[in-house]
Order: sequence, then structure tokens, then C-alpha cells
Amino acid sequence: MEKISCKIKRFNGSEAWYQEYEVPYEKGKTILWLLTTIREEQDPTLNFTSACRHAICGSCAVRINGNAFLACNTPLDEVIETFDTMTLTFEPLQNFEVVKDLVIVWEPKMEKMKKVKPWLEPTANGSKETGFLQTEEEFHQIAAPTDCILCGVCASECNQLTVNQDGYLEPFILNRAYRFAVDSRDGSPEEHLRPVLENELWKCLHCMQCVSKCPKSIPLTDEIAYLRSETMKMGEMNNQGAKHAYAFHDDVKKKGRLNETMLPIKTDGLVHTAMTKVPFALRMIKKGKINPFHFPKEVEGIAGVRALYEYAKEVKD
Amino acid sequence: MKYAFFPGCTLESAAEELMISTKKVASALGIELIELNGWTCCGASHIQDVDDFLATSINARNIALAEELGVDKLLTVCNTCTLMLRTSKLKMDKNEKLNTKVNTGLNNIGLEYKGTVEVTHLLWALIEDYGLENLKKTVRVPLKGLKVANFYGCHILMPPNIMGFENHMNPRSMELVAEALGAECVDFDQRLGCCGFHAVFPAQKEVMNMTGINCLSPKDAGADCIVTPCPLCQMQLDAYQPDAQKGFNEDITMPILHLPQLIGLALGFSPEELAINRHVVDAIPALSKGFLPV
Ligand code: FES
Repeated sequence: MEKISCKIKRFNGSEAWYQEYEVPYEKGKTILWLLTTIREEQDPTLNFTSACRHAICGSCAVRINGNAFLACNTPLDEVIETFDTMTLTFEPLQNFEVVKDLVIVWEPKMEKMKKVKPWLEPTANGSKETGFLQTEEEFHQIAAPTDCILCGVCASECNQLTVNQDGYLEPFILNRAYRFAVDSRDGSPEEHLRPVLENELWKCLHCMQCVSKCPKSIPLTDEIAYLRSETMKMGEMNNQGAKHAYAFHDDVKKKGRLNETMLPIKTDGLVHTAMTKVPFALRMIKKGKINPFHFPKEVEGIAGVRALYEYAKEVKD
Repeated sequence: MKYAFFPGCTLESAAEELMISTKKVASALGIELIELNGWTCCGASHIQDVDDFLATSINARNIALAEELGVDKLLTVCNTCTLMLRTSKLKMDKNEKLNTKVNTGLNNIGLEYKGTVEVTHLLWALIEDYGLENLKKTVRVPLKGLKVANFYGCHILMPPNIMGFENHMNPRSMELVAEALGAECVDFDQRLGCCGFHAVFPAQKEVMNMTGINCLSPKDAGADCIVTPCPLCQMQLDAYQPDAQKGFNEDITMPILHLPQLIGLALGFSPEELAINRHVVDAIPALSKGFLPV
């Protein structure tokens, strides 16, 4: 009979080790079935969490072969097919503190979430008596972000968090800030946006891990783009991220293409660039990778490109 | 085989060696690349932060230019360009209201997005259109003994609903091409890592740390060089490597090749012909260790 070999990362509070289990393969099961079978039939000391078994409570996320999944709604057959193997390595989510085996600690993350004021700051356009009515369209704005079940998959896979857990916010926290900032019943979107900006919003690497692995398909990277846009509309332009984004935006309007030579200066300013980027620039010039005397020419049809900019402004207003 | 070609901004300056090697390899393989007249920057994953509608519009314009050439596919050699163009295409094809709105702007300047052209990457085209068997037949100098570490880069894999050429958690395309060229592929932790390039300004400290990790991981696995299908990954890992080294005690030196350069070597071009001498981290010693096609 076919067997699945599971290597599970164990942790008892001080020591960590990998333990191997073999489970007879059964068709049409879930990852949670696999873990439960091990605990019930082979090792009652194995710790993992789960409750609803319906992708609602968000407690069962684990990493398998280096990728985070929700155990209860992930078909075992799909994982076997994806990795083309019957050998699966289980680890707890990354970027969380581990209590025991596959169990992680949520409290510090919930504390951190308070930074973005994850609650509604009601507008003046409603009251207890009249209620806070929303149009259908306004409701749809919050439909996707409220799907979040706080499973932690996004945080586990976030490449910025892996190297910067203290400074950066977990994608699910950014989602929560977005959820209230776009809510038509919230009267103080700035209250959610400002802490997001102050907690290194511009450090998102665009690696697309969160949006690719979210079991609820929440468009997290679009939300991050929206948060950035909104902070710029608030006038928060004096930071590297905003200046960098505008350097691209303006270069395309001017010439159609990026001026790589000027990019650091537009992003960091002349003085900072001179202080920090000189060795980089010199080695680039030496290899012919930057030609300080090369300025991109206007692309053919630049008038049309600029007309698209005008048009985009018109339709927005 | 004929494609509309979207080079992207880096190929005009910092990664000119990718332009050189792509053209050499394409012509040796009999692939005709017709550069789009008047292409603009794809937005490089930044313009949508300022104006999402504009980002969709400029790439719909780029795709419309390709459609005018009457080809089936628009080909790029950059992960991020591919993702930006495909993002715009997916929105245009799926969202009728947006399509009409964007097309009104395009019509004003005498263009129309019809949705007739696919957006692809050279890596995909080699597998899907050219075929690995045919690629094998063109190899003149098998890269025997060369241990390559394939660094995919995020944007050729994710998000899967936009990219979707292969499973983003376990891709094989780079290995298939490298093996067809006779090279040996090493497995390493950071194979699907992120280079961090898009935040190298606001997150300089973190990204330099990542660069060091991305170089050490294949080094520990015994690789001679990294190969990547993305010029932005290449620039981050190569040009910033001396800066990243400052944060590490151990030597992180790792040469970084563009995918077309690896192919070019197997086709019998010299490193100079493929402009491998334009890299910041000298790749020639690593190539001459196991093999050098001269
Ligand atoms: S057990 Fe509740 S989400 Fe999986």
C-alpha cells in the first residue's frame, strides 16, 4: 500500500527536531485529516491547532515543503501533485513565535494590530437612531477585506517580514487598515492610514507571496497600492517610496521611458545620493551600466502617451 | 517564429548586456524579434501606487502597439515587464467597463486594444513554442560540468492567476532549459527567493541582507553561478553585491548570469560576445573552472 512520509518539525519549548511518521495514503483527504490521523493513531503528543474544519476559524495554517497552507481546506492530493512527491515536510508558520510543534503565538500580532486602529471611527453622517446606511457599491468595497480569517498564511510568506519583523506590519494588518479606511461609514480614514505609513508601508517588496497564497484570495497587493495612493493624497510625499513611484510616473510622461541615471537622485535627493550611492554609481559607470551622458529620447508617440495621462486625470475627477 | 518584442527600460542602459545576448541568441535560434515602435516603461510595479488606471492604460497601449504588428505574441525578457503587461491584459479582458474606459483614451490617440495578442516571456516561449527538443539540437557546446543555481524571481511565477505558466510553488522551467543546455542544476533554499529590487531604496538595509542570503544559499549548495530570467533580479544580485558583502563576514561572491547568456554560451558564443564582461561580479573565472566555450 502507498504511504505518505511526513517529516514534522517538533518543538517542546526548548529543543526542536524533525520527527518522521508514515501514513497509508487515502484518496480525497485533506491535510488536516493527515495531521489528525497521525495524532489519533500514532502520536498523541503531536500539537497543532484546528477548530472549524471549514476555513472559517483560521487556526489550522501550517507550512508544507516550504509553503503555507490552510490544512482544513487543502486537498492532500493537490499537495502531492504540486510537489510531485509522497514526502511532505511540515513546519509551523514562519514569522510567528512557536509555542509547541506546529502551534504559534497570536497575542503579539493582535497587540501590533491595534496600531492601525482596527475598528470603525463612525462618520457624522449617521447615528444610533438613523443607522449608517451603505450603497451596494460601498458594501462591495469592504466585501473582500472582511473575508480575512486571520490564518497567518500571508504573514508567514511575507519576504519583508522575514528580515524585518519589528518594523513592518503583517499583510493581514494592512488588510485590516484597508478594510476600515475604505469603509464609507468610517469618518477618519487618516487614523488608519497614518500608522500604516509610519510602520514602513513603503517597504513592501512586491514579491506577491501574500496575494498568491491567501486562502481567501484577498487582493492584498492591490490594497497595499491603495494604501500608498491614499497616503500620497494626504500629502505624504516626502519619503523615498512616494518619490520613487513618482519618478517612474513622471519619467514615462516626459519621455516614455525611465531615466535610470536620475532615479537615485529623484528618490533620495542629491545630497543623500552623493553620500551613499557613489561607490555603486562608479562601479556601474566602470562597467558601462550607467552612462551619465545618456538621456533617453522621447519615444515615438509621446504626445499620445501624454494624452493618456491627461485622460486618466479627467476620468478620475 | 516571430514575436513583437518589448525590451523594457533596463535593457537600454543598466542591462544592455541582456539586449545584446537576447538578440544574439534569438537570431541564432531563428526567432525573429520585432521591437515595438514607441513602447513605454511598463511602470515597473510602481506607477499603480500613484494611479492604477493610468498603469493599466499605458500597458494597454503597449499591447495595442503589438497588436498592430499582426503577431500572436508579445515577448519580454523581464519578469516585472511580463507581470505588468499581463496584469493590464487580464484587467482589459475581464472587466468590460474598464476596457471601454481605457479604450476611449486609446481611441483618442488612434489606438485600440483588441485583446488579440498574448504576453509571454522568452523562458516560456522556448518551452511552449520553440520546444526543448529543438533547443537541444542547437547546442554546440554542452555546458557540461557547469553547476547553475536557477533563481526564478517572483514576478515570473506570481500571482498565479495572472502568470500561471507553471505551479508557482514548484516550477521546473528554468531547470528544463538549463538541463537541455547540458548544465547541472543545483537545488538551494533561495531558489524561489525574492531579490528585493523593487524596494531597494525604501528598504535598503533589509534588501542588502536579502542579497547576501540569496548569494550565500547557492554558494553553500556548490553552484558556480546564479542564472535568472529577470534583469532586475540580476541587477540586484550583481550590481549591489559589493554593498551586500559589507554586512557579511563570509565571502558571498556569486556570479549572476542572465538566462540568454547561459543559452548563448551553449550555442557557442564567447562570454565577450554575450557581454558577460559587463557584469559587476566577474563571471569568467566561474565559467572557466568547469568549462569555457573557447
Ligand atoms: S480549522 Fe478552521 S480554518 Fe481550518
